[in-house]
Amino acid sequence: MTAITVELNGVKVNDDVEPRQSLADFLRDRCGLTATHLGCEHGACGACTVVVDGLATRSCLTLAVMADGRAVSTLEGLRADPLMTLLRRHFHESHALQCGFCTPGMLITARDILQRYVHPNAELVRHELSGQICRCTGYANIVKAIVAAGQDIPHEPPAPEPAPEA
Amino acid sequence: MAVPSSSDSWIGASVLRKEDARHLLGHGAFIADLRMPGVQDVAFVRSDMAHAQVHRVLPPPGTAGKVFTLADIGPLNILEAGPELAAHRHSPYPALADDRVRYVGQPIVACMQPTRAQAEDLADLVELELEALPAVVDAVAAMRPGSPRVFDNWPDNAYIASAVHEGDPVSLGAAPVRLRRQFRMNRQATVSLECRGVLAYWDHRNDELVVHLSTQGGHVVRIGMAQALGLPENKVRIIAPDVGGGFGGKNRIMPEDIAVAAIAMKVGHPVRWIEDRREHLLASVHARDHFYDLTVSVAKDGTLLGLEGDIYIDAGAYSLWPTGSFMEASMASRNLTGPYRIKHLGLKTFTVATNKAPMGPYRGVARPGACFAIERLVDEVARELGREPFDLRRQNIVTAAELPFRTAAGMRLDTGDYVSSLDIARDMVDLPAIRARQAQGEPDGRAIGVGFAFYTEQSGHGTVEWVKRKSRVVPGYESANARMLPDGSVIIHVGTQNFGQGHETTFAQIAAHELHISPALISIRYGDTATSPFGFGSFGSRSIVFGGGAVARSCRMLIEKIQKIGAHLLQSDVASTTIEDGAVHGPNGSVGFAEIAYAANARQEHLPAGMEPLLDATGTYEPTETGGVFAYGTHAVVVAVEPDTGVVEILDYAVSEDCGTMINPMIVDGQVQGGIAQGIGTALYEEIPYDEIGQPLATTFADYMVPCAPEIPTVRMAHIVHPAQATEYGVKGLGEGGAIAPPAAIANAVSDAFRSIGASFNETPLTPRRVSEAVDRARRATATPTPGAPA
Repeated sequence: MTAITVELNGVKVNDDVEPRQSLADFLRDRCGLTATHLGCEHGACGACTVVVDGLATRSCLTLAVMADGRAVSTLEGLRADPLMTLLRRHFHESHALQCGFCTPGMLITARDILQRYVHPNAELVRHELSGQICRCTGYANIVKAIVAAGQDIPHEPPAPEPAPEA
Repeated sequence: MAVPSSSDSWIGASVLRKEDARHLLGHGAFIADLRMPGVQDVAFVRSDMAHAQVHRVLPPPGTAGKVFTLADIGPLNILEAGPELAAHRHSPYPALADDRVRYVGQPIVACMQPTRAQAEDLADLVELELEALPAVVDAVAAMRPGSPRVFDNWPDNAYIASAVHEGDPVSLGAAPVRLRRQFRMNRQATVSLECRGVLAYWDHRNDELVVHLSTQGGHVVRIGMAQALGLPENKVRIIAPDVGGGFGGKNRIMPEDIAVAAIAMKVGHPVRWIEDRREHLLASVHARDHFYDLTVSVAKDGTLLGLEGDIYIDAGAYSLWPTGSFMEASMASRNLTGPYRIKHLGLKTFTVATNKAPMGPYRGVARPGACFAIERLVDEVARELGREPFDLRRQNIVTAAELPFRTAAGMRLDTGDYVSSLDIARDMVDLPAIRARQAQGEPDGRAIGVGFAFYTEQSGHGTVEWVKRKSRVVPGYESANARMLPDGSVIIHVGTQNFGQGHETTFAQIAAHELHISPALISIRYGDTATSPFGFGSFGSRSIVFGGGAVARSCRMLIEKIQKIGAHLLQSDVASTTIEDGAVHGPNGSVGFAEIAYAANARQEHLPAGMEPLLDATGTYEPTETGGVFAYGTHAVVVAVEPDTGVVEILDYAVSEDCGTMINPMIVDGQVQGGIAQGIGTALYEEIPYDEIGQPLATTFADYMVPCAPEIPTVRMAHIVHPAQATEYGVKGLGEGGAIAPPAAIANAVSDAFRSIGASFNETPLTPRRVSEAVDRARRATATPTPGAPA
């Protein structure tokens, strides 16, 4: 067993884990955080996506020991996050979920997209979602929800580019 | 038929879903999310051979009570599966293998440990002694004399062979145009994003077995589970938690379900098995796998006269309880004429056992194959006659004036306007503009094609249809129990099972319509045999017709009593009262449902003399026409195909469909879009090939292609509304329709793109390799190359 310390949804968690244990299993089975779903356990479906040190990350392909010393956020920890609140509203209004199993991973990925792009269009969102499987919706309403949420985020005009160094 | 009043706002309203909130917060409770103290996980040791004798199973020493073979979990009863026909051969399917395994992935041993990882460690240590036997891997070859047998005591490999003979197929030999074509729709998985799972334990307080199961219908499971375990049904409780998609794949009792329940009865703690994706692709329900060898006969003017030929269904190694896969062949043959005035049919069908995973239902059941065959044939005939395929389709399709129309295969097409559906779809993609664009050619060298496919979707079929299918369980009705609580709020238990379709919302809309209250005051509950009346679950596009009808009926029973109590409290005649906005109104004033419900439940001295207390009604419902009501539609798709690589891009996808009255148009659109996404998967991506010794070649998402957002276009939809006459509100089921036509429409579009060189695309999925090879073959076969033109 290996001792790890993870800042999990803002709270420091110390635990001993088997080196082979995935971050997903650690979150679900040790920490009881079941919003993170497992759809394939080989990195293809994206249902298990969580945030590790600010990056959208597949928790089925990440070992728990690799999260040692890092900050991990799951959907449970983003309940009050303003961007996630906006996305939840648009997912609801756009009928962007049916069975709900892919939804947590979709939301985390959607938030990641909106953090990286200003007002992304449908084509860009589709491309960015290419690692997320939804079997129910046919994606159209998910794309619509993310684009609409992006439109709802006020953005400052971009700061002037710093002068290139000589 | 009850017609919604014009003042009503709940029938036809795009009410946002009640289901969403929990999932958006990550508080859905799927089977793997349930936390049960003391639970232990099971991992199965599965056959790695397609067909083998099991000589010995050697568990590691010291693992008694942790490693289970069939002998350790028994005695169990074998469920007899398949139709109730003497001619349908029995294929006993034990929960764990006996002395024979018949497909790669069949469970042989169950290993139990505190965690799944430890259970897999233990499974790795179990030694098997298997002796390979010849494998049967091709349904057509399996029916040739001398083929190895899946079951030693069968005279051949057919579960059942059958025939459809209508009209005068012998007359077709003299038809001026006769075309023979072969079509193949390959095997695939159902791929709910949540895999299957089961968690079972003996509840000592209630003295019953509790089985949490990711299922589409718990009541029917209870029948089979109780039979398999030898328990009375009052000792078996099935609970479906949130179910993460099903699509047919969770509508059968599977061996793992029975094995885990049987182990739970042997040990003193909860036991669970959560399927992983590899297991899902290996050993969950497989689907499609149809082969058609058909000859179509046509008059000179393009009139379709008849169909002859053979249909082979590769049904895999066992029949799954209750129905087996016989429905595939009967539905494929009975839907083969589609919407056309074809008069003569001479078909033979073979439902064949092979050494592959057992076949089960998947969204569309059989009709995607039948639609693919007939709609491709229409285009092939058009090409032969030099006609525009759209026009030939329109010439042969049943008109609105001819409805209701009985097809040669005996389906009663009820209401609608099929010609309008075709025309709307044609206009949506602008057929003349595409023909003009094709004439100009594409700057990037790709070939543009347009394809149409028309489908019908039998839905809401009841007793007559299921008895005709010789079904062991006849889902001829659905049930609902409606209760108004003392404060006037309502809980309705239904026997259908929501796994994404939005029943909590649409059924609440129906109840709100009938009860004249807001859906916010209505809770819909399902998925627990302990609390809901018997029902059949959700499959076959049946829930809105049957479940919705049962909700309506139970609410009408409530409202009748509410009105009587209200009139009594108002000291008025019932006839002088009306119901509006959650209150009974009379000449002397109004009384709200809360007061009425409080009297009915908690103050019976306020009730009319002799009236029984409670507002609690259970209603059942079956449509007045039990052969089914038919939703239908036209899919029109425009593709661009790179001829050398065979990569197909969908440029436009349009649908004009009619599912009768829409309770919630937002949810209808979601079902259409989602169904089409799965149909595109069948058309272009999804396949589980087997090699010549029966090894499956797609067992991860690296080999099994599920379409993602870049592959699935936003479908443009037009809704035509011709209400059904046999159902409440005029609804028709629509869950499956989207998945039926895409393989046909896309293959027609790709064929259209290469019509100048005569290439045809008659096998799904149309992978880049299949497309580029077909183009290459056609190029070699066509006329001498023009100098300067691309070869």
